[in-house]
Amino acid sequence: MHVLSAITLLPLGFAILICLAPKAWVRPVALLLSLFEFGLSLGILGLFDKKSAALQLAENIPWIPEFGISYFLGIDGISLWLVLLTTFLTPIVVLGSWTAIDKSIKGFHAALFILQAAMVGSFLAMDAVLFYVFFELSLVPMYFMVGIWGGQRRIYATVKFFIFTMVGSLMMLLAIIYLMFSARDTVGQMTANLLTLYQLKIPFVAGDLMNPQTLLFFAFSLAFAIKVPMFPFHTWLPDAHVEAPTPGSVLLAGVMLKMGSYGFLRFVIPLFPEASQQYAWVFLFLGVVGIVYGALVAMVQPDVKKLVAYSSVSHMGYVMIGMFALNTYGVTGSLYQMLNHGVSTGALFLLVGMIYERTHSREIARYGGLAKALPIFTILFVIITMSSIAVPMTNGFIGEFLILMGTFAAQKGFAIVAVTGVVLGAVYMLWMVKRVFFGPAGELVKDEHHPLHDLNAREIAVMIPLVILVFWMGLFPNHFLDWSKASVENLVENKDNYQLSAGVKPKAVQVQGAVVAKDGK
Amino acid sequence: MNTDLMQDLVVVIPISVLFIVSFLPLLIKVFRGNQEPNPLLPLCYGFAGLVFATGFTAAMSGGQKTAFTNAIILDGASVWSSCLIYFLTAVGLMLAYDHAATRGRQFSEFCFLLISSAIGMVVLVMANDLIVTFIGIETMSLCLYILVAMSREEILSKEAAFKYFVLGSFASAIFLYGIALMWGTAGTTYFTAQNGIPGLGDQIEKLIAVNRVFVVGLGMVILGFAFKVALFPFHAWTPDVYQGAPTPVTAFMATAVKAASFVAFLRLFHSDGYSLSPNMMTVLTWIAVLTMLIGNVGAIVQNNFKRILAYSSIAHSGYAMVGLIAAAFGSDFNEGAASLLFYLFSYAFMTMGSFALIALFEKNENISLNVEDLKGLGRKYPVLGLSLTILMLSLAGIPPTLGFFGKFYVFSAAVEQDMYWLAFWGVINSVISVYYYLRPIVVMYMKEGESVEMMTSHLMTRLTVVASALVIVVIGLLASPAIRAVRAVIAMM
Repeated sequence: MHVLSAITLLPLGFAILICLAPKAWVRPVALLLSLFEFGLSLGILGLFDKKSAALQLAENIPWIPEFGISYFLGIDGISLWLVLLTTFLTPIVVLGSWTAIDKSIKGFHAALFILQAAMVGSFLAMDAVLFYVFFELSLVPMYFMVGIWGGQRRIYATVKFFIFTMVGSLMMLLAIIYLMFSARDTVGQMTANLLTLYQLKIPFVAGDLMNPQTLLFFAFSLAFAIKVPMFPFHTWLPDAHVEAPTPGSVLLAGVMLKMGSYGFLRFVIPLFPEASQQYAWVFLFLGVVGIVYGALVAMVQPDVKKLVAYSSVSHMGYVMIGMFALNTYGVTGSLYQMLNHGVSTGALFLLVGMIYERTHSREIARYGGLAKALPIFTILFVIITMSSIAVPMTNGFIGEFLILMGTFAAQKGFAIVAVTGVVLGAVYMLWMVKRVFFGPAGELVKDEHHPLHDLNAREIAVMIPLVILVFWMGLFPNHFLDWSKASVENLVENKDNYQLSAGVKPKAVQVQGAVVAKDGK
Repeated sequence: MNTDLMQDLVVVIPISVLFIVSFLPLLIKVFRGNQEPNPLLPLCYGFAGLVFATGFTAAMSGGQKTAFTNAIILDGASVWSSCLIYFLTAVGLMLAYDHAATRGRQFSEFCFLLISSAIGMVVLVMANDLIVTFIGIETMSLCLYILVAMSREEILSKEAAFKYFVLGSFASAIFLYGIALMWGTAGTTYFTAQNGIPGLGDQIEKLIAVNRVFVVGLGMVILGFAFKVALFPFHAWTPDVYQGAPTPVTAFMATAVKAASFVAFLRLFHSDGYSLSPNMMTVLTWIAVLTMLIGNVGAIVQNNFKRILAYSSIAHSGYAMVGLIAAAFGSDFNEGAASLLFYLFSYAFMTMGSFALIALFEKNENISLNVEDLKGLGRKYPVLGLSLTILMLSLAGIPPTLGFFGKFYVFSAAVEQDMYWLAFWGVINSVISVYYYLRPIVVMYMKEGESVEMMTSHLMTRLTVVASALVIVVIGLLASPAIRAVRAVIAMM
């Protein structure tokens, strides 16, 4: 069984198929292929043993044995939902961009599938260099997506996005190379296999910056913090989000940012346990600053899309503090918040895109009274807003609650400041909703030459799955969290000595080890 | 004695045959009353010679052979780099066959000069003696001086040739003086032991520490090499010469000359003695860092595509230096040396492809392609646009292209020798370089406009562009055999 290879590499084949398809068929074919891919990835759920913290469905083939680099894919509770989020959002994006993208649609859908392959690949890669390859590869299609199909300042935005991300990831490359040589010194052979790298004891000196573990920790953290993006490395994000076409924004916010936060969980915390604990305060502090700063800046944005972009900075701040609370609640909440953010911010960008298609404007001041003109749109927008500001019963509530609980247990002070972010979040979102949807009709709404039409069947179909997820994740979090529980507990409880086995369970949950070993192979 | 001579001659059969074969079209031209034969004729003769030389050299590979009282050495590195040089010469001939500046009335002379220059390079990579190295460099360079001036209409071509000639002669003179000083102090010009006198490699440790004159001589020799591979501060000629020379010649210079000079440079550093001279390492490290910086920062402000690539080639010399420094001053010569060879190999494909693409848009001799001229190229010529994208991403070192693995290898060689500073600067420079490598892509796909016309009839040039892009991706994904090959090559050195 090569399920993981299939869901990683098939999209590359899809990209070629799209290029060969007749122009009129591109969209339906892309939709079918992406739905097929989603169905295939749901198949993982059937094969996945949720009681096991081990790496499952692993595939390991030597790639460049001279450097110990291998094509090593595997999935566990941490990456499972992120992979599904990626494959779930892709068909939605294809359907959502049905009419918005009219320039070279073949190229667009090919880029979309290459992006999907790179994103899925980086969540599944269990070899540091392979991860790096996918991580960097994902830049290229996104770079084209923003640069070709983006808005006015697209070139500035896309180049900035590319270069910012490169700065961090190249430092990470050096760190990976260093780790590979450390592995050679201890294991006797150069390797980038993550399971082996977890076993390394990298020298750490508390209170001193110039020691291997601290430097490596910051090299990796820089790469991921830029990607997340964590304050103060967030400046590329508003530009890229605002200039990106709707599908680009959805995937950028929905999935690509998670590649950063996932990197913290997969690489930084398990590889550099001492440094992570020593310097957790840095990330808690910057996370909290990000939450408050993002919310305050979002409040004064005149542009809806920019507001949503800054709200991402704020929401990703929660993800960061949850992770660096380094306890089960925090990490679980952080993982859940990644999914929530993917769903709700993705949905917000789609909604903003839909209204932009109608009016070609995103200025809040030009709207007003939209609720009367577009009732269905308004209902959907308000539901997603509730999810975004974490109203109970929606998914956002579970995530933020777990994160705040975890942070409170770890560092009370930071949690108290973070809570103000929840209030501020409600302020900027609701104020925006008030100005756009209620009150007297704005100039765009009462424009008689361009009457506004409510959402059509396609647009409703795009939103339905997202709305269902908002409530499903809000009401039955355990349907999702149960699958990640074992992995998260393994990470938190064994954070000083993290081990991950491909097939056999680690000590913490030894009971059913033998069964899994058989299944895993 | 006689059998010795025979064995010596066998080693140089490839270059002798190549010389004679490339000379034939010139003879034919003379007998026809100075009438230029069909350009296919010199091209075919050239190819035949190159194929024979490559085959014969490859057949001689394995182990170490020396000839002419050890002055010439045929080991893994020289076989490997000779084959690379022959291959690049063949591609250079293909580009020249299509190009307006070189195809004209003097194509048989052009082929002869290009191949003679390649012969000089092969001598250079086989040299085990500084005098032979000098002969190699001079043969290579003298031919290049003429080749650079080959364009009849382009005024920059003459300026470039003159500049290159004057500066190159200075560099050669200094190089020669350096050899004299080294001979005076070490008593030998051989890299390895000869007639009971220990070679330079064996004496370096002792001489560097105590003998100032030797150090000055060594510095001068290094300067000579630095000029040829365009290291800071001897890089200033590169943009002008690369821009002025006919594009096929530029492509040849940027790839083959660099490969050959770096291999000879590597031989000079093939000694354990260097690891004990940290001062020299510091100097070379800074030269490498500044070379990368000057190249990358210089490229950012350029508009002419050829000049951008010229600055980029300066920067790439800096990256290659990272591998060289790791080999010379680290505890293990082999990994650094292998990374250098792998880097030269990957660099050759990327650069050859990029210059070939420029050649494709040069309708006349005196046309110069600015980046802005590429507007809309991606839509007009999709295959070419995709190839250029791959070439640029590879030059920038984005995985999974060959350029990424080249950089990965040199940086890992530096990290292995604990030269983190060097690797750090390499990485910083890679980031800077991304900016200008993305520019052609931005212009090509993201700006509206009509691109300049491509020379659709130039089939061989188009083939070169597409094939090099393909090679970059395929060898990028399957880098393992190539890495094994360079390691095997270095193990035989």
